[in-house]
Amino acid sequence: MEKYPLIKTINGRRYFYRFSLNQRVQHIILALSVIILVLTGMPLKFHNAGWAPYLYKIFGGIKAAPIVHKAAGSILLILFAYHIIYLVYVIYKYQIVPLRDKERRLTSGMILKLLATQPLVPNMKDARDIRDLMTYLLYFTNKRPDGDAFTWKEKFDYWAPFWGMVVIGLSGLIMWNKVLATKIVPGIVINFSLIAHSDEALLAALFLFIWHWYNVHFSISVFPMGMVFITGYLPEELMIEEHYEYYVKIMKQAGLDNEIRPPHGAHSELSTDEAEK
Amino acid sequence: MKNIFYKLYVVAFMCLTVWFIVIIWNVTFHHVIEEYENRKELEEVATIKEQKKREAEKTKFERIILQSEERVKHYLGYRVIEEQRIEGHFHHIGFDIGPDNRSYCIRCHGDMPHDKVRDLRAFLNMHAFFIACQTCHVKTEGRGPRVYKWYDRKTGELVPSPVLTYRAGTYNAKIIQIENTGVGEPQRVDSQERIDFASEFKEREKELSEAQKSKAKKMIHEIVSKQPSICEDCHQRESPLLPLHELGYPRDRIDSILSTEVVGMVKKYTEFYMPRMLHPGEQNKENEK
Amino acid sequence: MSLKRAARLYIVGFIFIVLNFYPSKNLFSADVGNCLLCHKYPGLSRIDEQGKMKLLYVNEDIFNISVHLKVKCEGCHTDIKKIPHDPVNKVDCLVECHIVEPSSEQKFSHKDVDNYVKKSVHAALDKYGMPKKFKEDLPTCKNCHDEPLYRPLSFFKQVRPGISEAALGRCRVCHKKEDFIIRFYNHVTTRLHRTRNPINIAEVCARCHDDPLLVERHNLGTRAVFSYGETFHGKAARFLDERVPDCLDCHVNTGESVHQMLSHKDSAAITYRENKYLACSNIECHPGTSQQFASYKVHAEFNLDQSPVQYYFTLFFIILTGGTLLPLMAIIFLDLIRRLFPDAVIPRRR
Repeated sequence: MEKYPLIKTINGRRYFYRFSLNQRVQHIILALSVIILVLTGMPLKFHNAGWAPYLYKIFGGIKAAPIVHKAAGSILLILFAYHIIYLVYVIYKYQIVPLRDKERRLTSGMILKLLATQPLVPNMKDARDIRDLMTYLLYFTNKRPDGDAFTWKEKFDYWAPFWGMVVIGLSGLIMWNKVLATKIVPGIVINFSLIAHSDEALLAALFLFIWHWYNVHFSISVFPMGMVFITGYLPEELMIEEHYEYYVKIMKQAGLDNEIRPPHGAHSELSTDEAEK
Repeated sequence: MKNIFYKLYVVAFMCLTVWFIVIIWNVTFHHVIEEYENRKELEEVATIKEQKKREAEKTKFERIILQSEERVKHYLGYRVIEEQRIEGHFHHIGFDIGPDNRSYCIRCHGDMPHDKVRDLRAFLNMHAFFIACQTCHVKTEGRGPRVYKWYDRKTGELVPSPVLTYRAGTYNAKIIQIENTGVGEPQRVDSQERIDFASEFKEREKELSEAQKSKAKKMIHEIVSKQPSICEDCHQRESPLLPLHELGYPRDRIDSILSTEVVGMVKKYTEFYMPRMLHPGEQNKENEK
Repeated sequence: MSLKRAARLYIVGFIFIVLNFYPSKNLFSADVGNCLLCHKYPGLSRIDEQGKMKLLYVNEDIFNISVHLKVKCEGCHTDIKKIPHDPVNKVDCLVECHIVEPSSEQKFSHKDVDNYVKKSVHAALDKYGMPKKFKEDLPTCKNCHDEPLYRPLSFFKQVRPGISEAALGRCRVCHKKEDFIIRFYNHVTTRLHRTRNPINIAEVCARCHDDPLLVERHNLGTRAVFSYGETFHGKAARFLDERVPDCLDCHVNTGESVHQMLSHKDSAAITYRENKYLACSNIECHPGTSQQFASYKVHAEFNLDQSPVQYYFTLFFIILTGGTLLPLMAIIFLDLIRRLFPDAVIPRRR
């Protein structure tokens, strides 16, 4: 974990550490399998649409596409399992063990507190940020909310697929192994699985391909493409725009107090861009 | 400059977002409304069943029109047959014939105009499928030998003979008479002038008085001959009315059309039914006998 | 040109002519009466006294791949005794036609089919011989059947649609009549699998079972083909998968005629509550399924009256989806406006 410097300077521009290689690889596997799952699943959900047969044909039609879907689904589930193990391991090794060594004891209350203060766990600051964002978007203020290490958007991006994978994965497994599953649960669970699987998948797909992609790729401050999912480092301007509070913290930590740039919203960023030209 | 592109991009993305909103609405809450309405409608069907039924009877025309549009695909595995479906029709149709866009007669008289003579109507309609109305029902007093050409049902243009290309009777073309009035170029009997006149009458029919209507009808039907050409005019060996060879019929087809089989059948029909056809008004009396 | 070569050419030419002209007219079909002389013309049609269109055309090409190709026209249209003929009566499908059933050497007829139908849920008379309510809604032969078409299969190396030339080669060793070989091949291989594609079956059932009026009148509880279309089976059928079950696979007792379809209220029916799992556990479908598996509601619709539990479950996801995404879309939209007019000013506190 220590091997990633928090700030990197390339060609005079500062970049801030966001994701480790392990996390980036996890993300890419997630992204690819989800795209394949959506492409092989949606033609079934929207089987009456004109595009459905053509899209399905790309994946081998009714004979092959379900197999592709199950294969991609399996990869995703394995990734999910891996991610849980990874999460437990990282928290245990880098947080619980040091805590235990420091305090010389370990109570469940301490562990709960530790888990509740994980950077990706939603907290009151997120609620404040959402309120501040609304006042900013409605022109009541010119000040963007100064986000922490992970903004509410990112937490959303994390927990929505997390919940989605539980729902979709479980219902998918039930429908895949329906004969086995109905040894335990009644047949109506298959009805529920079908509904949950397809409706939750639609939510996930629309959420990822519109909201997530807008935030990380299509928003004009990032357009045409955010590179952080490949490089793991976020450029300074975006860091200021989205994570100002965290930015200040890191800069101070690195002893760069004098070089901290002022906060700004999208409008002033545009004008600085103009000025640079 | 860069700024303008930025703004254009933002505006474009705003439109995209609206589109997204519509999509999301359609795949979510819209379903709930739709379900509610469907359920309402079904309830209505239950309560005012009889009234609905009567309404259904009323829109019979619409149903017929809609039904005629129903298409089916038969998946045979090695082959797919797509065809129009006619309710209650057992045999397969298997191919499509486009509407005749040229003929102005069928606008009033329909595609299957022959219905008076019970035993001949189907045959006459069959011929009307590839012979223009005017070819039998108009006898021009023109000069020189009569000329006949094929025209395309869809475009209305004169086309080369389709006889060799298609199966018998399935040509997408009809035979039309070319009229030589002696004045100017020979022209088709279904001239643009006549088409326009008929179309205008059809359009303005409602605003015309009874007398005007009769006059217009009279003028449109002026060229129609009292005695149309009959089967035997063509189905005979001596001098058939239609110049089959010139119309592109090969030897064997001409032989078949003029064969004893066909001519014999025509004879039978002529002997038994033709007198009635020539005096259609008496048909019913004959039937009663 | 040598005499021999000329002779050979002559022979080849003769065969060519024979093949092309003489048999092509009726290679297969039983048009002994030369009915196609007139009925090959697609325009042969009329409007009858009720204003219904009567199309008298017979497409010879398609008739030649239909199961009735060997039946003479008069075999079904029995009232035609002479040509030219008078307007004909409706065909009675139960008539004894001129085909002889080879095992019993009896004249063939569809009477047995009718006997099955009489015992089925689609019978017009109930078991006491009294006419059922809305008897006119119940189907007769032609409501479900148009001319059935052959759907041959080839099993030579792998199973595929169509005729196996290699298999025909075997037939030709003993059987010399080409039309017999092809007809026999077609008949047997068509009978070994579905006579119609699942989607075509579903279309047939839909004509009545998706008609809201009939559904309501007969208390059917679902627009059956519509709800089938929402299941994986129906969707796969729409993508032309022939391995998935269509209506008949689940609604007909295994090994019985599809014409003997029973009501799901009949304890002998495979669709009866306790028997349903037998249909699912078919060796080719979901072997080993339990009663619990069969409690899956196949014809569940998104309909409050029909399946309230499923309705509320779906409603939850609809609200979740719309409720999450629509506000997010609004944020994107506002964000775009904010970026479009970054310096716009609304009177505000600073």
